[in-house]
Amino acid sequence: MSDKPWSEVNLLRPKKGYMGGEVLITLVILIGWGGATFGFQLLQKFLETTPQGENFFTRFTFFNLPLNVWFTGQFLPLWFVILCFVFNLYIDRLTARHSRTRYPYEH
Amino acid sequence: MNISDLHIRLIPLIIAVVVLTSFLLIGLSHKVRESSEYGLGGRSPGRLGSGAAIASNWMSGASFLGMAGYFYLYGYQAFACVIGWTGGYVLLLILLAGQIRRFGKYTAPDFVGERFDSPAARLISALISITISVIYCAAQFKGIGILFGWLFGLPYSVAVTFGAVAVISYVVFAGSMGVMKTQQLQYTVLIISFILPLMFLAKKLGYFWPLPQFGYGAALSQLSPEFRNSFTLPFASSSLFQWSALCFTLMVGTAGLPHVLSRFYIVPNIRDARWSVVWGLFFIALIYWSAPAYAVFARLIEAKSGSSPDPAAARSMADMVIITAATQGGLPIWLVGILAAGGLSAAFSTVAGLLMTGAASCSHDIYAGFLRPNASEYRKMRVAKGCTLLLALAVYLISMNPPGLIVEITAVAFALAGNTIFPAFLLGIWWGRANRQGIITGMLLGTLVTFAAPLFGRFVPVVAELFPLTSSALCGAPLVILVTILVSLVTPPPPERIRRFLATEVHGHLD
Repeated sequence: MSDKPWSEVNLLRPKKGYMGGEVLITLVILIGWGGATFGFQLLQKFLETTPQGENFFTRFTFFNLPLNVWFTGQFLPLWFVILCFVFNLYIDRLTARHSRTRYPYEH
Repeated sequence: MNISDLHIRLIPLIIAVVVLTSFLLIGLSHKVRESSEYGLGGRSPGRLGSGAAIASNWMSGASFLGMAGYFYLYGYQAFACVIGWTGGYVLLLILLAGQIRRFGKYTAPDFVGERFDSPAARLISALISITISVIYCAAQFKGIGILFGWLFGLPYSVAVTFGAVAVISYVVFAGSMGVMKTQQLQYTVLIISFILPLMFLAKKLGYFWPLPQFGYGAALSQLSPEFRNSFTLPFASSSLFQWSALCFTLMVGTAGLPHVLSRFYIVPNIRDARWSVVWGLFFIALIYWSAPAYAVFARLIEAKSGSSPDPAAARSMADMVIITAATQGGLPIWLVGILAAGGLSAAFSTVAGLLMTGAASCSHDIYAGFLRPNASEYRKMRVAKGCTLLLALAVYLISMNPPGLIVEITAVAFALAGNTIFPAFLLGIWWGRANRQGIITGMLLGTLVTFAAPLFGRFVPVVAELFPLTSSALCGAPLVILVTILVSLVTPPPPERIRRFLATEVHGHLD
């Protein structure tokens, strides 16, 4: 067991250093995740002109599909892959920065 | 029943048997090679290979059969499944994966028991994990029953019994022989068996076949207005709340499924584990980009032949839709056989994984962890074997009269995971003050919330609206998190050694 000084873990009050960086990227990715997923559906609701949900996005076609279908069905899974990619890239750099003093490489 | 009553589809049956048998044989040969050449740890397959393993581990009858059926019935609402089952991996990666790995406990009962220093919390989470496995397996059994019914020309009630016997034999054989999972090979078979028939179907119907994931768009304009609207307009078959609730439930449920998190610990280092998620997600998306195309082509074939079924008939055959689209679309029988073999292998491997981990949990967490702490290894092994059969029996009984579509049954398992295991992991990792009283209350409340609609929905209609059986976690998970926080705050904090460990090792390992 470590004798390092410690403070209570709390997502809303992260300590400085590695955890601070980790929480920051987590929140940024969460916003990208939630905004694109639920934000887009909300936007469609906001813009609807009929009870079934016809809206600005349903009028255009992209890659053979109505724009809203393309965005939700084709783009969002790809967006999630991109988000995971960005998260990993950031965490790799964060780990490298914080590892220099303590470890030669991540373990 | 006489043998003459059977209308066996011989070529597809042979293909299915060959595929499943070859998985077993190749798994056996891997076992011999791994243990003789590479020791117990085996080789690391690299990020790409681990990604394929994540995808193959994930693919079940719900992805392979159920999703296309759900699109066929509900159009745009089914995109909630696509998004829920891919977006869940983002949550898993950014909120839990690295931290749980640093914590060092890889199953929900082990983590909950250790983090909250409570055998009771461990027991509850084990019972919940086993229930999740049983419900998830019931959906797989339904898929297996449907495919066996088609292969042997049998009614569902008989076919599901045939299928249950076959899958249990498969599990027992694989378990007793210690067959290694050949997940990269399996993913290759799954993706080919799902996409190749789809390309043929697109070509046959005259659409852009090299990428049928985009080609099906042109078919939309030829569909009946009713289905075209259902597929393209966001609120034609469900409300914003229903869509979001299902999507969110599947997302948070992903993190709580017993067989998903454990994949992060098979890869030797956390960095490779993280990067393999990117590949895994891409491989999963390849299947999910394709599923809607089957549904659209199925509707198109029906429209062309003038045989659109009424809603009740459509619902009863929806889970079978990829097979009916392939047969009615005039694909050669060997190709339909490949499709069926892919569906069967997805369902078989999911059942094998879940029943074995469920039985191990019965033996390790409940029997040895609670009932008989000093049980011998031999005794624990026997209990695990007995539990495999008991769990399989429970699954079989549920699947005799399946309570819904494959996706719907699966979604209940996700809702239970999202309302119980996800809050326990989230608070356990990110809030040191969360204690055993809070988590036990939270998990019990989460279980109640999951089944609130059938239990209380008749008496209090608003409960059924807020916590629909398949999508209860949108309101359920935040409620459980809130109650867990409140109960934790009014009861004593967890032991200092755990809070210190969390602060210095899980979140402070590089400070």
